[in-house]
Amino acid sequence: MRRSLVVAWLFTRIGVMNELQYRANFFVALFQSVLTLGVGLVVLSLVFSHTQELKGWNHEELLCVMGIQIAMGGLMRATIQPNMLRLIEEVQDGNLDYALTKPEDSQLLVSVREVRVWQLVDVASGAAVVAVGVSRLESSVGLTDALALVGLLALGAVMLYCIWLILATGAFWVIRMWFLTELFEGLYQTGRWPIGVYPGWLRYSMTYLVPIGFAITVPAEAVTSRLEWGTALTAVVFATALFAFTRWFWRFGLRRYAGASA
Amino acid sequence: MHVSELTKIFKVPEREAGLRAAMKSLVRRHTRDVHAVDQISFDIGPGEVVGFLGPNGAGKTTTLKMLSGLLYPTSGEALVLGHVPSKREKDYLRQITLVMGNRNQLQWDLPALDSFELNRAVYRLRREDFLQARDELIELLDVGDLVRKPVRNLSLGERMKVEVVGSLLHRPRVLFLDEPTIGLDVTMQKRIRSFIAEYNRQNGATVLLTSHYMADVVALCRRVIVIHHGRILFDGNLSALSDQFAAYKTIEVDLANGQADLSTYGDVLECAGDRVKLRVPKAETPRVAARLLSEQQVADLTIEDPPIEDVIELVFAQDKPA
Amino acid sequence: MSAPAQPLPQASRFRSTVDYYLTSMRTHAQTDFQYRAATYMYLIGMVAEPVIYLVVWSTIARSQGGSVNGFTAGEFAAYYIVWTLVRNMNIVFTPYGWEWRIKDGHFSGLLLRPQHPIHYDLATMAGGKVVWVLLYLPIAFALTLIFKPTFDVSALEVVVFLVAIWGAYLIRSMFLWLLGMVTFWTTRASAIFETYIMAELLLSGRLVPLQLMPGWAQTIAAFLPFKWTFFFPIEALVGDLSTASLLGGLGMQLFWTTVGAGLVWVCWRASAKHYTAVGN
Repeated sequence: MRRSLVVAWLFTRIGVMNELQYRANFFVALFQSVLTLGVGLVVLSLVFSHTQELKGWNHEELLCVMGIQIAMGGLMRATIQPNMLRLIEEVQDGNLDYALTKPEDSQLLVSVREVRVWQLVDVASGAAVVAVGVSRLESSVGLTDALALVGLLALGAVMLYCIWLILATGAFWVIRMWFLTELFEGLYQTGRWPIGVYPGWLRYSMTYLVPIGFAITVPAEAVTSRLEWGTALTAVVFATALFAFTRWFWRFGLRRYAGASA
Repeated sequence: MHVSELTKIFKVPEREAGLRAAMKSLVRRHTRDVHAVDQISFDIGPGEVVGFLGPNGAGKTTTLKMLSGLLYPTSGEALVLGHVPSKREKDYLRQITLVMGNRNQLQWDLPALDSFELNRAVYRLRREDFLQARDELIELLDVGDLVRKPVRNLSLGERMKVEVVGSLLHRPRVLFLDEPTIGLDVTMQKRIRSFIAEYNRQNGATVLLTSHYMADVVALCRRVIVIHHGRILFDGNLSALSDQFAAYKTIEVDLANGQADLSTYGDVLECAGDRVKLRVPKAETPRVAARLLSEQQVADLTIEDPPIEDVIELVFAQDKPA
Repeated sequence: MSAPAQPLPQASRFRSTVDYYLTSMRTHAQTDFQYRAATYMYLIGMVAEPVIYLVVWSTIARSQGGSVNGFTAGEFAAYYIVWTLVRNMNIVFTPYGWEWRIKDGHFSGLLLRPQHPIHYDLATMAGGKVVWVLLYLPIAFALTLIFKPTFDVSALEVVVFLVAIWGAYLIRSMFLWLLGMVTFWTTRASAIFETYIMAELLLSGRLVPLQLMPGWAQTIAAFLPFKWTFFFPIEALVGDLSTASLLGGLGMQLFWTTVGAGLVWVCWRASAKHYTAVGN
């Protein structure tokens, strides 16, 4: 276990060093972050020019949701997404074998190899948005809320990672997955709004089938003081179950891949 | 075609390894001028088959790209079929073709026949001209059953053959072939070579071929242009190449009387029991051979030109980068 | 068979162009149809965007007593479902695709042909559209069942709609081709592209029907091409435009297509020269 962490850290360090060279990428990432944030704020203000609240969430609370979604998105685009896209590419051109013949756990390796450091600007801007939203809330955020927030964010990140890996593992069967980024980006936008907004069956799918909404709304609930213990517990159980399933599915796919390429 | 003082200079960023150098490069960008092609000049007449020979990075592909309009020269001029290639005039593009080994221009997922139809429309061929060219080429290369299969299902060699058919449908007057046999097995290499020779014979099309396989050049080209570090080292007949650069021959002698020291006759290259290989300057070969025959007990004597690979190596070795 | 001393006689230019388009469309429809599973996945990702807008605005409409700015939930549903049809048609090659195909060497292959590369893009994407729309219809049907749109159409509106979606395709093709050429000049073309997309999001009717945008935004939108790539085709079918507006809209689409094509024509020569100076 410790060794795995060391390996992960080494890869991350190299990834960071690689990225640091491209200073221009920082400005591009910053520019895109500002742009997306700007549009997001415009959308929110547009919505709230026509209404006062959305299924019980007011403007400031929706700011928190948006902030969390942006921050998680940044984390995802920095760490999870590049690895998954590389995995799919390597399944397609056969280079995955290099990762598989290393004496480290394959799932770990394929998950930590790439880091796009500059995408983390979104984490900063998302955090700023959450801070602004929280500061304008009527209810205050206590220590338990803050701890719950951090814990639930971590669980949310785990859930996002699992969804990505499950989708990417599909490459073992489907091979050509060029659509995956667009598919995920599209689905990820559902996290911009609290899942309570969506009608019945859609909400259900977003909570259990593709838990993007869940991953984002629940931490938002912590910050906006509407979190219930039941939900938090569900999050823990669900994240654990999802992670276990993901690991099993990865191994299943791997066996098939190894069996297929003789 | 007429090429005069053609030059192509690339600006290549330079960076050393290591984190510190990487940081420094953020502040100041060093670029290096790489003379991929350095003031080359040559003339090629219609119907000639000319081989461009050179190691990797010599400038062969760059030259070909400039002559086909893909690359804009830094200086110098080129005239092919009366056109300036870099202007990329439609009339010019319709008369040339560029085939690159290892690169596909046909649609990947569809049978080659469908791609041929696309080429027909792109090159504005009349239906009857197109069909005639297509059927003749398919027959010449014997790909009748391959053209109905999706291109991705073909082997590398089959893909190359079908690629060649597609690129000749518009009966170009000039063929630029960039490493056409790369990655192919020996049988397929021979097949492609014989096709090109046959096509040139039947058509009178000019062929400019680059390769780093000697066998391609030897089989196809009477005239050879040797290029290295962007400069032309030699332009002329293949046989003249060895005359200029490697004016020697090898004499292989089988001695009847066992071993003997033949070092007085010439440079001993090999000595394996009673078989000795000597290197002798070209001019002296007849005299040395006569001496050997009279002074030694010779069971067998063979006189050979030096293998062309060795000659080429000598050519490259003599040239030093600027 | 000997190489002709003069170039081969050519078929007529018009016939060849039509021939090329039809052949390309056919072959690419065939190719795209082979990958229908992947296309479905892509379409699902594409549909997520308007469904989210639809849900949010319907919720707002219901909480505001039935409608927002005159749009009921049913009308929002109609708007966004037709949106998906229009979106299918106006997806075109992005600068990211350009970067990929330059690196890949595919673009050099296009440059060797005696044909402007834009024809390749226009023809191949058009062929793909046919397949996409066909594959998409079941999804549209499912959305209709779920969200219950309300609208009535006249024959004229349908006809104008069918023409307008191709207009949208052409306008967006031209302008994104311009952005694509930017990739020759800088590796940061993505920044310009993202700016374009954000402007388009707000001013084209992609985010919301333009009637819901503040007045000043609507004024700006009237002078930009974006409106004619989303809003006009959708409104032609869903809204209540007069015959004059319908036909005038088509005229505006023609105008913007011409502007786009003109810009492409002007910029291509310089861009091609720049590209070939650098090579790949």
